[in-house]
Amino acid sequence: MKIEKDVAKKLVRDGVISLFLYALPVALMFLWFYIKGERPWKEQKQATELTVNK
Amino acid sequence: MLKYVEALFQHINGWGLPVLLLIVGCIEFLFGLYNRKADRNEFILDLLSFAIPKILFRPILAYFSLQLLPVLLPGLQGSLSWVPFFWGAVIIAVADDLTQYWNHRLHHQVPVLWRFHRTHHSAPYMGVAVYFRNNLIHVLLFSQVYLVVTLVYLGLGYPALFVAGMKSIIVAAAHSSIPWDKPFYRIKWLHPVAWVMERFISTPATHHAHHAVTSDDGVGYYKGNFGNMFFIWDIIFGTGLITRKYPSAYGISHYERDEWYAQFLWPVLKSRVRDSELSANGPVVRMDDEE
Repeated sequence: MKIEKDVAKKLVRDGVISLFLYALPVALMFLWFYIKGERPWKEQKQATELTVNK
Repeated sequence: MLKYVEALFQHINGWGLPVLLLIVGCIEFLFGLYNRKADRNEFILDLLSFAIPKILFRPILAYFSLQLLPVLLPGLQGSLSWVPFFWGAVIIAVADDLTQYWNHRLHHQVPVLWRFHRTHHSAPYMGVAVYFRNNLIHVLLFSQVYLVVTLVYLGLGYPALFVAGMKSIIVAAAHSSIPWDKPFYRIKWLHPVAWVMERFISTPATHHAHHAVTSDDGVGYYKGNFGNMFFIWDIIFGTGLITRKYPSAYGISHYERDEWYAQFLWPVLKSRVRDSELSANGPVVRMDDEE
């Protein structure tokens, strides 16, 4: 039994939309950091380096 | 008493949730909310679906996170631990629930996958027991839990715990035969809340519609309403039907009570019911009796 053509088309279309939906919270998070001027990934890296050098 | 309730919610991601849902299941059973359609065969299947994955998943997930992930993603353990809790929760909620939406939708719309998901739909009743009722191979192979465990490995542990707790409660409540959403439709000043709620999360009304025997009465809609925690995916992709009524019958129209072992372990074990989708020479998808 094969998948219907119309269904397959919608699956592909919605799959592409989903890629944007997956990326949306990550993009919004970085937009938030940009607005607030925060760089938490750098702070963590510095903290890790300080701990290693102690 | 309050001490026990507090402990239950403190351990919601461990023993708390199973105990809470067991209590809800007992309440549903005592109030006759299983429509008296749950016979011995269904009971054994529901019980195994509840217990066995809990035993099997622990060593599998331990192996996946402690042995496999360090090999697949070397040096990346904890690399996302700088992500603030709020954003971590949003990222995980979307990643987990959108993946489960797709997992669910594909099992309905791709014929070859349907039989793995059929066990979840064969119950002629609704209740928290149905939330757990699944084919074991389906649970082990197609779970989005592996994605969440990967995100935990990358450093999103606390947000993952929070989202897992929230999601379990919402999805279990959507399967429950306790119609907790009815007051939102009946009481006028709650209507705006109902409008937002039924578009945002799965409610008993919309999720019961997904488990209905028919999609032709304007209430049932097993051809859609694939959302688990969030219903918003169904709104975005046009696969949803918002209803405030409950279906008159649940399950699969051609269900002839396949043996519990076949439903739990297909394709390893097959059904003896003739023409069943789970039988040795059965159809991949059997058309509805009414069609």
